[in-house]
Amino acid sequence: MKVVATYNIKGGVGKTSAAVNLAALAAHDGLRTLLWDLDPQGAASYLFRVRPKVKGGGGKLVRGRSDVTDLLRGTDVEGLDLLPADFSYRHMDLALDATGKPTRRLRKVIAPLAEHYDLAMLDCPPSISLVSESVFDAADTLLVPLIPSTLTVRTFAQLGEFVAGEVDRRPQIVAFFSMVDGRKRLHRDVVATLPATNPDDMVQTAIPAATEVELMGVERSPVVVSAPHSRAARAYRSLWDEVRPRLGL
Amino acid sequence: MPLDVPTVSYTLPDGVDPPSLLAYLDKRFPVIAEPGASRSYTVLDSADRRLRAAGVDLDLETGRSGPRLVLREPGGRAPLVAEVRRPRRSRYLLRDLPAGPLRERLAPIVEMRALLPLASVQVGAQLVRVLDAEDKTVARVSLASPMALGGSGEAGAVPLTPRVDVSGVLGYPKPLGRVTAAVRRGPKGGLIDARISLADEAIAAMGGDPEGIRTKVRVDLRPDQRTDRAAVAVLCDLAGMVEANLPGTLADLDTEFLHDLRVAVRRSRSVLRELKGAFPPEPLAAQRDALRWIQAVTGPTRDLDVQLLDWDHLVSGIPSERHAALAPVRALLVRHRAAAFRALRRELRGSAYREAWDGYRAFLAGDLGPTRDRPDAEQPIVEVAGRRIRKVYRRMLAMGAAIDATSPAADLHELRKRGKELRYLLELFDGLWPRAVVKPMVRSLKELQDVLGIHQDREVQASYLRGLAGELASSTGGPAALLALGVLVDRLDAEQHDARDAFSERFAAFAAADQQALVAKVFS
Repeated sequence: MKVVATYNIKGGVGKTSAAVNLAALAAHDGLRTLLWDLDPQGAASYLFRVRPKVKGGGGKLVRGRSDVTDLLRGTDVEGLDLLPADFSYRHMDLALDATGKPTRRLRKVIAPLAEHYDLAMLDCPPSISLVSESVFDAADTLLVPLIPSTLTVRTFAQLGEFVAGEVDRRPQIVAFFSMVDGRKRLHRDVVATLPATNPDDMVQTAIPAATEVELMGVERSPVVVSAPHSRAARAYRSLWDEVRPRLGL
Repeated sequence: MPLDVPTVSYTLPDGVDPPSLLAYLDKRFPVIAEPGASRSYTVLDSADRRLRAAGVDLDLETGRSGPRLVLREPGGRAPLVAEVRRPRRSRYLLRDLPAGPLRERLAPIVEMRALLPLASVQVGAQLVRVLDAEDKTVARVSLASPMALGGSGEAGAVPLTPRVDVSGVLGYPKPLGRVTAAVRRGPKGGLIDARISLADEAIAAMGGDPEGIRTKVRVDLRPDQRTDRAAVAVLCDLAGMVEANLPGTLADLDTEFLHDLRVAVRRSRSVLRELKGAFPPEPLAAQRDALRWIQAVTGPTRDLDVQLLDWDHLVSGIPSERHAALAPVRALLVRHRAAAFRALRRELRGSAYREAWDGYRAFLAGDLGPTRDRPDAEQPIVEVAGRRIRKVYRRMLAMGAAIDATSPAADLHELRKRGKELRYLLELFDGLWPRAVVKPMVRSLKELQDVLGIHQDREVQASYLRGLAGELASSTGGPAALLALGVLVDRLDAEQHDARDAFSERFAAFAAADQQALVAKVFS
């Protein structure tokens, strides 16, 4: 089972959109896929119409006191299951801190699922915290959506330094541009230059800022399912085709 | 830790079509009917239906980026998928499949067998999603109208029984229970559990046998049946197996067609030998010669198949730095095997085989003549076969007791041959005696035969490999290959030695006093 985490220290950059759409595309391609909604806001759970509730809460889960298979929920996308969010995840840092070797806990939680899934996608909350460090330890790949701006580029560089310097089990980093507005010159310039200077860490596909993506909250479905021929859906398909070989899948 | 989500399959009763079932569901549950979709695929399995026996379905379908294999297991979990190339020679061997979960799952089931296209199916399906109060899918109902496609596509299509599959969604067990209860209740008396899988129905519709090519004889014998008639019934069943395995042998689809063909011939020869008193002596001798000839012309290919099937196991036991040096040895074995197979194919396609087989079939179908020179013909089969079992068993006891550390390999081989006779008698006529007696006896015999089999296989393999030395010496990489060959032959000798060490214990179990008493009592 390959573990991929959509991660960015900032919120509102398209992590959940990428997670749900790529997970749906992986399932369409026949991969047995799990999506873990780690964000206490529960946006991914909401999109899949799954109650954001985990029996026993996040504390019991990270302490290994819950049978994780009992918590899984099938989604409307065949082949894609969800480990839902829970509001108690807002205290996950504290729960992790109360365990031994906290940065290894998330890897331990999903380990029993390795025989059942080809891909686990972790949709992470925006922060840099003990949860993030535990995600970095569990993930084979960090998928990082970037809004094209000077500040974002700097944040991305900081992430690379942090992972290289602080994380024992280093995941590969794959970044892509998200919410790209082609009418903005800065967006156009950054998208045109950054991937060429970071070919190892960045893929070419850029996800456009699109109404269909915003409408996912209304449709409560990934855009690749509700509007598969839309520009955004085609972009996610292209992103998945580009990312998949890097995941070894 | 299973993640099973059950799927329950039903067939529609007369007078109920998919639209009326949809209307029935719509009245009882919030449902969404997806647009109808059509799917075409080819059912793959080994000739002996190993996947079916393991409860696994494997389909070849055309995906977004070309052909792909889809493996489904009971429980409704997401299938395993692997993109593949178009099959060469209409078959996939394990080595043709990309490394990954699908191949890993198939490997222990299909082993060396080829995956063959057994039927083509086209399914027009309407998917209905059953929703909860949040409009989330909590169960799925698939209303399918399948067709088996002949060689000429839709023109030769045979409609199959419409099916309804009700599948659960992980984490939502209750809605599945409600939906299955509803479809069992109605409409028109309720749906009926599907008794046969779609794959089996499609294979049968195209004239195939859903159970595949059998290796076990299936003949209903009565203990008081005349021996000649019982023997002919068993021999006809075995002859059918020879014929069923012949096309796959000639096409060289996998090694097991030839293996199973040879086993069926060997079993037939055993019946003719052990029950010879039921047949007229002269025609019997001619038929035994004919079957012996078939064994002889197919033997070299099988011996080389065994060499190559065992290759990875044998090589794994020698130092890895020698592996590369062994490449010329394997290449030579492959070349010899190709030459042996060409000779086999020439013989089995030739007039000599046709005449021999037609003559044998005519012998089985014809009048065996007066019984005066066939003393066992009218005797009850239970008596004649029982007598032979006792006799072969006693003979084995004597042969085995005479074997010691100094006995030549040929003595163990002779014992093995008698063991095969005994095993065939027990298996071919097992319905005549209590299973509780036959089964443990076959088990202890099989354990003895396994040891004797390894002993003999290693003898033949080592002898064959030693015989390659001259040819190897003159080839590129020959000297290094010869040195590595020596190590390989040493390993074969060591395994043969181990088998001989294990012999005494296995034979003691086979020859135990309680087993002897049981044989004397049951088969008398």
